[in-house]
Amino acid sequence: MAELVTLTIDGAQVQAEKGALLIDVCKARGIEIPAFCYYEGLALQAACRMCLVEVEKMPKLQPGCTLPVAEGMVVKTDTPVIHEARKSMLEFLLANHPLDCPVCDKGGECELQDMTFRYGLGESRFLENKHHVDEQQWSPVVFFDRPRCILCYRCVRICDEGVGVDALGVVQRGVVSAIAPSHGDHLECDECGMCIDICPVGALTSGMYRYKTRPWEMNHVGTICTHCSNGCKTTLGVRGGQVIRANNRDHSGINGEFLCVKGRFGWDFVNSTERAQSPMLRTNGRLEPVSWSRALMTVARKLNEVKQRGGRVGFIASNHTSNEENYYLQKLARQGLRSNNIDHHRTGDVVTLIDALAGRTDALATVADLYAAKASLVIASDLAQQQPLLHFQLRANWRHHRSRTYVVTPGPVRERKFAVKSLHAEPGRELDAVESLRDDLSKEPELVILFGDAIQGDAVRRLVAFGDSLGIPVKYVCLLDYSNSRGAIDMGLAPGLLPGYRPVAEAGLEPGMTIAEMLADASLDVLWVVGANPLRNARLAAENAFVVVNEMFLAETAQRADVIFPAASAYEKEGTVTNVCGEVQSLKKALKVMGAKTDLEIFGLVAAEMGIDLGPFQPGAVFEEIRREVRGYNVSLPVIATGGAAQSVPLNGRVPALTRAELIQSARDTLFTSGTLGRYSKNLTSVLEHPGKLYASGIETP
Amino acid sequence: MPKINEIIGSAAAIAKGMSVTFREMLNPSITDLYPDAPPLFEERYRGVHVLQRDENGMEKCVACFLCSAACPSECIYIEAAENTDPKRISGGERYASVYNIDYNRCIFCGYCVEACPTDAITHGHGFEIASYNTATLIYRKEQLLAPLPPGAQVPLVVNEEPVGAGH
Amino acid sequence: MTFSAELEARFAKMMQSYPPGRERSALVPMLLYAQDEIGHVSEALILEVAARLNISRLDVDEVIGYYSMLHKRPLGKYHVQVCTNISCLLAGGEQLLEHAKKSLGIGHKEVTPDGQFSLEEVECMGACCWAPALEINYDFHHFVTPEKLDQLIASLEKVQ
Repeated sequence: MAELVTLTIDGAQVQAEKGALLIDVCKARGIEIPAFCYYEGLALQAACRMCLVEVEKMPKLQPGCTLPVAEGMVVKTDTPVIHEARKSMLEFLLANHPLDCPVCDKGGECELQDMTFRYGLGESRFLENKHHVDEQQWSPVVFFDRPRCILCYRCVRICDEGVGVDALGVVQRGVVSAIAPSHGDHLECDECGMCIDICPVGALTSGMYRYKTRPWEMNHVGTICTHCSNGCKTTLGVRGGQVIRANNRDHSGINGEFLCVKGRFGWDFVNSTERAQSPMLRTNGRLEPVSWSRALMTVARKLNEVKQRGGRVGFIASNHTSNEENYYLQKLARQGLRSNNIDHHRTGDVVTLIDALAGRTDALATVADLYAAKASLVIASDLAQQQPLLHFQLRANWRHHRSRTYVVTPGPVRERKFAVKSLHAEPGRELDAVESLRDDLSKEPELVILFGDAIQGDAVRRLVAFGDSLGIPVKYVCLLDYSNSRGAIDMGLAPGLLPGYRPVAEAGLEPGMTIAEMLADASLDVLWVVGANPLRNARLAAENAFVVVNEMFLAETAQRADVIFPAASAYEKEGTVTNVCGEVQSLKKALKVMGAKTDLEIFGLVAAEMGIDLGPFQPGAVFEEIRREVRGYNVSLPVIATGGAAQSVPLNGRVPALTRAELIQSARDTLFTSGTLGRYSKNLTSVLEHPGKLYASGIETP
Repeated sequence: MPKINEIIGSAAAIAKGMSVTFREMLNPSITDLYPDAPPLFEERYRGVHVLQRDENGMEKCVACFLCSAACPSECIYIEAAENTDPKRISGGERYASVYNIDYNRCIFCGYCVEACPTDAITHGHGFEIASYNTATLIYRKEQLLAPLPPGAQVPLVVNEEPVGAGH
Repeated sequence: MTFSAELEARFAKMMQSYPPGRERSALVPMLLYAQDEIGHVSEALILEVAARLNISRLDVDEVIGYYSMLHKRPLGKYHVQVCTNISCLLAGGEQLLEHAKKSLGIGHKEVTPDGQFSLEEVECMGACCWAPALEINYDFHHFVTPEKLDQLIASLEKVQ
């Protein structure tokens, strides 16, 4: 417990931690001190002078945002002098601020507007003409309207401190000082849009959202981003059946204010004109739109026919579908068709990790652990590119707690800027490099180890053995690629595993075929591909196989399909997803795209058509079943229902793991790519600046 | 006696009543001859809305959505778009690409006119909007806009390119 | 980009005098000394200094924008800086500046065509008790009258 001091705020005795900032202490007491430049977690600036308070025995008003509380301090936050000061500050801020609120994107959610309304004078004594500078476009997503800027430096600080890109600065001085981008007239950065989000006024605006609508015109739906595996919460602004913007409006969820370029701008695939909006059936060699009932009937009949004659059916599942859909799909395969030929594109070896941990329930880290841990070790992954939230967390941990980070990668990564030790390791030699850190690591009080797909199979076991031998508490994160990669393996979308990492032998079944085996099996009768694109770089050996595809876009696999079901995206459904750290969060339906059905509905309807009873296919009901049946998924319902994240603990006992190196491979998506979804997001392709390899030189110099 | 009083009283009442009649006979008539003649309106009559233009013929509406936010019957629907140099519709950065008023719902309260920061939406004197088909009561921007001032050019549309298409 | 041996030695000494990890504090002196040698803060110099201090180009730009004595455009061989702040103003600094403009034929922040002189109106340089004052490169001149200024200019023109 830190030392407490007693001070008086507005006549009331208050106890607070010594050294805490007055503005925070007041906030905790329910006293608002207005401020623009103060932003929790960022360096102090005291630039805006809105937070002035009266402190006894101090001759002038003091900025509350930089004033640490001290014993016996007497503070007044609500006096005529302060009111006068606030009015003057706002008058100065508005001296050159254009009053174009009706056209400004920020109008309605602008901090300057709110403050002026609450504390302002209502009129100005400045009669001079305002200084006009034309709006500048800095990148496809960032626009800068200089006269609106109040120079609070929030954008500069979040870019430099928060994201570590340092792409914004302040040039010139006095009345002509202005925010400037890193490359003269344009930005070369992560395009994460954090600067736009953090701007208290409408100076930085988003290229995707600007002049589209007003804040109060949208429905705001808080759901989980459907791109990478970090599971950031994103609030979609929806109007007229279209997603217009995304941000984490209320800073809730595991990511706080953070969102990367994909979460903030990569939503436009939802309203892409190339979306499949009607079921298609191959007739006379051509795909033609048909009714839902016809498509469902065709598939159901085919599956029944193959089932009766004992044919071979394979399922390739998705990294993006919800836990409910994954669970229902494996039920359809295993119970409905007695087939274990079910697999998905695996991007990390969670299975071996869980086996190696052998039931230790406290050894899997959460996203919050990355912010709290005293030390962390990153192995063979470029977090800033592939796991942006995890990178943000590690960086924030270093900024706020001076945590110690060790990096072992085959190339330069951004974490090296703050790592205490960075080692270069050729692919395959990572564990040798880790071994050389033994002395340093064993001196740490605790450790979180994050490892990418380069560590798999035996290497995972050796890594866990190494962690055990350090004699300190060690937690692990097995890095994965996509929004529900973890949920897919948890729900048993693998030929040898039932949901909850139970071996298939428990259900009296033989292990089935993997993706590669299914594609190579010339005698396959039916292949059902759900939200995946295995035929992008491969060929289907079974020439005559009947291919069913659940897809949003007619990509390579869909082109080969005999039946296409137009599927709904994660933003169009209810359900739950599990992030890279095993945290379960709920999806909220934000909109409906005409013609598409959720995968759960499609599975349920096909099962019903086939005459198989697999239980109700409502997300809530299936989730109840998951909580009952899947080990570790008995998570707290209130936490999930209120938009929180509850970690699943799928650890009790050994997993008869079958890991084969060729089956586990990350897709190496960068910040600006996201598999098929990324290809159909115009926003993402327009900001794509570094199409090259993950570790290509120069990718780290923003 | 009461009889006399009654007669005098009645006569006085008739005289008083007829005096009004005779006086009004001399005054000009206030009955409108609508529909044979155009009706007369007070200046501030709240009729069908007019979207005003500025002196250059630009639309005054900048699609700030304040009218639709103020509207108690939620009858105003707007879609906004950005002015570009080749395609400049309004004086501000933004213009209304769609502006619909649903006269099935409008109660002519005038709140929208009050809310408008650019004096773009005003009440005109149009009132003949009765229809057998309610679908025709949704007025679009083209029906609401004031005519172009003499000499003004219709804004020219040169090839349109979406924002964010690369830089 | 290469500097003279003396300047390199100076930089090396400077880098030693800051605590480890605070080398970027050398930015202002580095820019100033390099500007003296090159004549102005060139594009190449900005990149060179940024690389040496391991900071971004924007960080250097921020500092150059802030300090008015760092110039991005080439100056004349003799940079005439006339103070027009309050003391000098009262003692005739404004007239001095006007005279300088007329006799050099250039305005504020401009350079004569032969590259010999440049002129700048500056804020207080701490010579208030000897107002009006001006500074040519690093040399102060006190109680300057228009006649004295003409003499100064004439003497410097002869130097070539």
